[in-house]
Amino acid sequence: MWFLVPAFAILLVFFVLPTLFNFVYAFTDWSGFKSEINPVGFDNFVDLASSGTLFSALRITVVYAALVAVFQNVFGFALAVLLERDTRLNRVARVFFLIPVLMSALAVGYLFQALLKPDGSVNQLISAVARQPFDHGWLADNTWTIVVVALIHSWKWMGLSMLIYLAGLKTIPEDVMEAARIDGASRWRTFWAVRSPLLAPAVTFNVATALLGSMNGFDIVQATTGGGPARTTEILNIFIYRTFGQGLFAQATTMSLVLFLLVALMAFPVIHLLRKREEIL
Amino acid sequence: MKRWTSTVAVAAALTLGLAACSDPTADGPADTTVSWPDPTGRLDGVALTIWAAQNSNTVPQKVIEGFRAATGATVEVVTIPDPYEQGIQTKVATGDKPDLAFWQPTASMLTAINAKGNLQPLTDAPWLPSMAPQLRDITGLLDGTRYAALVTSPAVEGVYYNREVFAAHGVTAPPRNFDEMVALARQLKAKGVTPFYEMGADRWATQWWVQVQLADAAKSGLWERINTGQEKFTDPTVLGAIRKYRALIDEGLFNADIRTATFDDQGTALLDGKAAMVVQVNSFFGQLQAKADTATLDKKIGFFPISPSGNVGTFIPDQSNALVAFATGDTKREAAARQLLAYWMGPGYQDFLADRNTVSLQTAVPDPAGVPQALRDVHAALPASVGSMQAQAVANPDLFLNLADMIAGTTTPEQVAKATQDQFTQLAKAAGAPGF
Repeated sequence: MWFLVPAFAILLVFFVLPTLFNFVYAFTDWSGFKSEINPVGFDNFVDLASSGTLFSALRITVVYAALVAVFQNVFGFALAVLLERDTRLNRVARVFFLIPVLMSALAVGYLFQALLKPDGSVNQLISAVARQPFDHGWLADNTWTIVVVALIHSWKWMGLSMLIYLAGLKTIPEDVMEAARIDGASRWRTFWAVRSPLLAPAVTFNVATALLGSMNGFDIVQATTGGGPARTTEILNIFIYRTFGQGLFAQATTMSLVLFLLVALMAFPVIHLLRKREEIL
Repeated sequence: MKRWTSTVAVAAALTLGLAACSDPTADGPADTTVSWPDPTGRLDGVALTIWAAQNSNTVPQKVIEGFRAATGATVEVVTIPDPYEQGIQTKVATGDKPDLAFWQPTASMLTAINAKGNLQPLTDAPWLPSMAPQLRDITGLLDGTRYAALVTSPAVEGVYYNREVFAAHGVTAPPRNFDEMVALARQLKAKGVTPFYEMGADRWATQWWVQVQLADAAKSGLWERINTGQEKFTDPTVLGAIRKYRALIDEGLFNADIRTATFDDQGTALLDGKAAMVVQVNSFFGQLQAKADTATLDKKIGFFPISPSGNVGTFIPDQSNALVAFATGDTKREAAARQLLAYWMGPGYQDFLADRNTVSLQTAVPDPAGVPQALRDVHAALPASVGSMQAQAVANPDLFLNLADMIAGTTTPEQVAKATQDQFTQLAKAAGAPGF
């Protein structure tokens, strides 16, 4: 029993207390401008709700999270299916797709930022292939940049999804597959009617982690666009970071409380829904 | 019984945690009488820390060498990554303080770091009598108390131009006011030259265009009125300047890639003569110095201040111009920090200027040979210039960010003004400014 104490102590100091303070400071006027901290009731929430920036940041955060959840799972699933057989080539390929997961997110962000610049390597390659000048600003488009950034985020984490889907595919019992074959099911039919449903736990885990990971995203967006162009990629954490940096600590805390509630509100129904699918197993 | 003990234990742990997490900056120095040690007195075994940004971390090098030789103290420069100000505010909010730090010496930024609670007052600093009189109190003060030491000439917003482009198109003298500059831009555009170059992607310079247009209004008390809520960003003065900026962009007087151009592109464009003029501050010239030598810069690059009524500059001291000393609670180190400043601005000043190749702020200390002409012109514009928003407003809203949104095409000038005013109100309220 006592061996749990160090772990709980760390959890208390670095998670429970900050979360509690999130609730406390959101109702104060804590700032970098003065030493006193006074309670202000719901002022911060009212201000935030009336400014409109919060809702735009929330909307962008949800869009970003949804895009990442879709891309990361599609890529991860496709990779898992493609690399399922244990050949030597597949093993090497799996390692390569797992490398981005281990890389620093900031490094990934800066790498793509350099690649996608108007005079970056991607455009140079396109110009060389198309034999005409091409200088599209991949990270300068007010509509599509968020998709590009979500793709980068998904690229970084798709290796992890792949790994979990692979594990899921490997645990499908051979006798079930054999039964399907004996019943004369085609490979396509087997795939959709037998293997996919049996992957439900992997889907639950992957969708939930991708969704929650990207809602709390910061590093990749900060490194690639910093929230631009024209704040179309300003997810809530970037907004919080900017507000905190201005010395408006209480307002930043209020926002992170809102993010905490949003993540909780989205996570529980999504996980519940996905869990429901698993009940057929 | 067991349950009761564990409840008490949890409650005690939480209380302890709560106490540990309260604001560590709660107590500040109250008294403002300051003693100044002899600049070259021995300080063996004392180690000081200076926080600096990526663009200011080499500034103190020469001073540190000289200070160590004279006093025996060691000084370590710690680079805080950009965005520098946010990093420092966050660190200070959690109780982490250096002995000294580079800091924008304006009232709004001194407020933002809670100077009264966190910084040492620098009252009666020994170098003040030798400062050029018109620069002595230009900045570094908050509510009448001095908190920052100005070490280099504060930045001025104005126009950097390519002399060769001007000469090639028969322009012999720089424009004498804002309208003349716009007229010249139209002439240049008709001849196929890009008149102005702006960096929409790096965003921060967008605000200079609005601020130089406000120079005359600033002289007649615009910021005092905004500080007290009598005037707003949404009123005709500021909104008009934003609209004018937008109109000039729409007219095509700026580079075609204004939305994606960066700070670095801007420097290259002006130096290569791809654009005629850039409205910028000193750090832009710093970038040019990294790209070309003094002789080339003297030949190619000129500077003139601009405002609607004439050649009036707008000054904006930045983080690389000044230092603040923190109240760390360790009286010995606090005194050593003051001593370093006294050495910097006293016996070490000549060597410092020679090393940085920059203009002197002290009447008795001459400029080193080889300071580029444009920098001397910027410095000469300083006494007549007026304070920028950063220098005079009680809060510093993200005007640049809102303007960059406008350049990217997502907002109107009216929305820019409103967003800026809303944020200004929020910051002024947090800072406890009366009337908000």
